[in-house]
Amino acid sequence: MALETSVDQASGRVPITVVALDGELDASNFTALIETVRGLYAAGSRHLLLDLSNLRFMASSGLVALHSIVRLMHGEPPPDSEAGWSALHSLGQDVAVGSTQTEVQLCGAQPAVERVLARTGLNRLFLAHPDRATAIAAF
Amino acid sequence: MSDQPTPGGPGVDAILAPFRGIEPSLSIVINDASGRRVAGTSSDDVPRDSIARDIVAGPLAGGRVVAWGSSAATPLAAASVESLAVALGIAHTARGGGIADVVVARRIEEELAHGRQLQRGFLSLVPPDVPGYQLASHYEAAREVGGDFFDLFRMRRRGRPLSIVIADVSGKGIAAALLMAFSRPLLHAAIDNTTGPAEALERTNRILVQERRSSLFITALCATLALPTGRLRLANAGHEPPLIIPGDGSPVQSVQVEGPLLGAFGSLGLFEAEIELGAGDVVLFYTDGVTDARAASGERFEERRLLEAIEAARGADAPGHGTAAGIVESIRTAVTVFQAGVEPADDVTIVAIGRRRPAVRRGGLPRRAQSGSEG
Repeated sequence: MALETSVDQASGRVPITVVALDGELDASNFTALIETVRGLYAAGSRHLLLDLSNLRFMASSGLVALHSIVRLMHGEPPPDSEAGWSALHSLGQDVAVGSTQTEVQLCGAQPAVERVLARTGLNRLFLAHPDRATAIAAF
Repeated sequence: MSDQPTPGGPGVDAILAPFRGIEPSLSIVINDASGRRVAGTSSDDVPRDSIARDIVAGPLAGGRVVAWGSSAATPLAAASVESLAVALGIAHTARGGGIADVVVARRIEEELAHGRQLQRGFLSLVPPDVPGYQLASHYEAAREVGGDFFDLFRMRRRGRPLSIVIADVSGKGIAAALLMAFSRPLLHAAIDNTTGPAEALERTNRILVQERRSSLFITALCATLALPTGRLRLANAGHEPPLIIPGDGSPVQSVQVEGPLLGAFGSLGLFEAEIELGAGDVVLFYTDGVTDARAASGERFEERRLLEAIEAARGADAPGHGTAAGIVESIRTAVTVFQAGVEPADDVTIVAIGRRRPAVRRGGLPRRAQSGSEG
């Protein structure tokens, strides 16, 4: 299943890069999403809104992507999910999870995606908004 | 063959001499800078000597000498082939063929096959003997090494309760398999040395958070079953909730006890659920490879079809009559039929524990399962 990503710029109190996901986020495409965000950070994006309105499905690998994206947007070394032990040991301190970060926020999560986030507790990492306009105003 | 001295470097035969007799299946190929193979072949039966000649003599600019070996290769043989590759690379450079960047790359498919073997090894251990209960499981790896695992074992403490662990490492490939190999014994030891499933998961989480340095997570469900009473204690770290399938035909219930997955948060704050498995009751554990299974149409299997497959196994005329083995088989078949023609993206793991009905009824109805009590 394909995942289409489209990137927009929006301005709230800060410049916001909006990445809209359309389709299914799974093992076949989660690394591509990480790469997209890596590129955006390199190009100067510092506030990211993931618009999940059209994301119909998220597998557990999607969680890896979301966590990696938070790290990337905090300027931390990008984790390499394929690098085996070196990935497990080479990176420094993990994102201070538990404290709410605001650099990456979510909007429009559908029930199926919301369930995965809630079940795994990863919803604790994100401020989530019902729609794009509300989210942009909240940054 | 005669050694033909090469200007500026040793001849091929001189380079090969120390390596004769070592693991003939190990061979060497040469790739150009873009990774395209320019000499050698992927077939093991091409003589190493002729490839070595190609490498020393062949056109190469900034390419790579890649040594690879069959899965039978010993570490010593692999090290030897690495030395050989280095020697050939140096000879090639000395001859003016450009700088050869030498790497030893055992074929990735072989490594993945190794990983899968290792994983199956973990999962095909003989299940423990559990009088009065039926244990059934199914595990099927996706093409890539996945991160599912489960563990059924009798605990060391008094009464030797049965412990059940099912888990899924998020992410794919070697990293997921390594984390799985790291976590499985960790969970096992934690369960044997704590007062219950919630504490075992908390302890494992603390270690993972300290050790872990990547965005890989583990969802895990941990349970202990006291055999004489059927008392099942459960704690859940981000995993699909287990299902209770009552032996009296009443509706399937999911055990709603939740908590965050392992490896992301400093502490989990888990609660335990306590359930009593009565005679004929089955508790079912599964990974998201079941509910996320995709059909050629793009549709997902979802919980709806899982429940249908369970119901199909419960009828009086159903094969297995609602036993643990019958239910696992029904789900396995349904998933296989559903995703026919599609490469499975994820591992599929199903584990069921059923409490056997006594051979002779001692009167009264089977006790009903109760779920959801926390504490």
